[in-house]
Amino acid sequence: MDSKAPDLAVRHLSVRYGEQVALSDVSLDLEGGQVLALIGPSGCGKSTFLRVLNRLVDRSLEVRYEGEVVLGGIRILDPDTDLVALRRAVGMVFQQPSAFPFSVFDNVAYGPRLQGIRSSHRLRSIVESSLKKAALWDEVRGKLRRPAASLSGGQQQRLCIARALAVAPRVLLLDEPTAALDPLSTTKIEELILSLRGDYTLILVTHNLQQAARISDVTAFFRQGLLVEIAPTREMFTAPKCAETEEFLTGRYE
Amino acid sequence: MRGQTWHRLALVGAVLVFTLFIAMIGDLVWQSLGVLSWHFLWSPPSEMGHGGIGPELLNTLVMVGIAALISLPLGLAGAIFRVEYRGAPGFLKVFDRVRFTFLSLPTIVIGLLVYQWVVVELGWPLSIRSGIVALVVMNWPFVVNIGIEALSGVPDTSREASMALGATSSQTLMRIVFPSALPALIAGLGVSTARLLGESAALIFTAGINVAVHWSWSMPGETLAVHLWYLRTESLAPHANAEAAATGVVLLGLVALVLYLTQKIAHWLKPRDYSRKSA
Repeated sequence: MDSKAPDLAVRHLSVRYGEQVALSDVSLDLEGGQVLALIGPSGCGKSTFLRVLNRLVDRSLEVRYEGEVVLGGIRILDPDTDLVALRRAVGMVFQQPSAFPFSVFDNVAYGPRLQGIRSSHRLRSIVESSLKKAALWDEVRGKLRRPAASLSGGQQQRLCIARALAVAPRVLLLDEPTAALDPLSTTKIEELILSLRGDYTLILVTHNLQQAARISDVTAFFRQGLLVEIAPTREMFTAPKCAETEEFLTGRYE
Repeated sequence: MRGQTWHRLALVGAVLVFTLFIAMIGDLVWQSLGVLSWHFLWSPPSEMGHGGIGPELLNTLVMVGIAALISLPLGLAGAIFRVEYRGAPGFLKVFDRVRFTFLSLPTIVIGLLVYQWVVVELGWPLSIRSGIVALVVMNWPFVVNIGIEALSGVPDTSREASMALGATSSQTLMRIVFPSALPALIAGLGVSTARLLGESAALIFTAGINVAVHWSWSMPGETLAVHLWYLRTESLAPHANAEAAATGVVLLGLVALVLYLTQKIAHWLKPRDYSRKSA
């Protein structure tokens, strides 16, 4: 992969869990380095869309998908796609801070160690630079041996972002990363996302419409497994093309 | 006022139960005082009096220890299969049914089954090794349950976070799931081992009620619990009741030791949780 953050191209993506349709015939394009916000009511398929991008969706029972998803040259849905390589290229941050029951250092070093990096010097520098990118370094330097659980919720979420960045991904998937956080921590995460923009392609699921408006370049509105509208965020929030989108954005959606 | 009354009532009840408990243990210890000594712990039993429980103590430690060691990997394998690899649902149903059946069988029936398989069909003698088989069959579903509970206690986001970082499922199991589940696992294993220490019914007709002069896998191996049963029902020894009480005290001590140590280790392994649990 070259140094530019990878583009995303989705063609006719459909996902089903058994008989239940989660996504049907979704097509969209995203330029590398941009922030894409996925909005829509609960159960509209936006989380499924996110989990397709690193194939975590494979863990669900009886899941079937069709269509084509290409991310910076990786054909994600190919049966012989190397999942380990894909997931190194595509990092993910979850709604609940999911720090492992280890120290701060071991949390961030988890991914690099999986890749066989043993040199403590290299691990240290990776951990330091990842924590700096995640804007957490100043708060945890000198406390790297403390358990991750000793950090606050907001710090733990930034720790999870640092942990994802430590494996040098080019894409970051964020599944409602601030839903469990207080306003101050939320602001910090949003600033962090803006600072990563450009170097990484970021895809963000959020229920917070103001958040989507504040930090995304492109917004996609999903409803009942369908992609209703995708447009540059400013356009979408000022003049949505579909009546349904407008209803959702103005809170008149039942 | 009302709340305070209930509070006092509960306190009185607690003191009562505690006193009763102390009285029971105290009575047992009191009865055992006449025979409990180093001599009693080391020497073989005797129908003429002045016997001991040396071989029983050894048999108990060997049989329970080995049975626990064998059923640990078997049980863990079952639990991992059940929790981590949600394979064929039809097979899992059968697996669960067999597990629950064995879990609810009276142990004397398990002893009967093992007697049929091992002693009658395979021609093994009533011996330590037959007894170990009975203990493993008895303990296995219990360990599977403990394993399932411990593994399910690990939040699924931990697994997903690990896999999202490029870990395979076996790496996730070894590096995230096991370390997280270890405290619960060890505490549970303590309980299951304590349960094995007290088992008698399944061992009476698989390991027998005698001890051999020369210890061997193929010789009868009476355990402490079986010996206790024997002393109170069959024995003609002059101090049988005192010896039974002393055996009970030793057995109780072993159980308490196992539980204490495993809880201690589990607590020590548990990552300290400093989180302020902010919503």
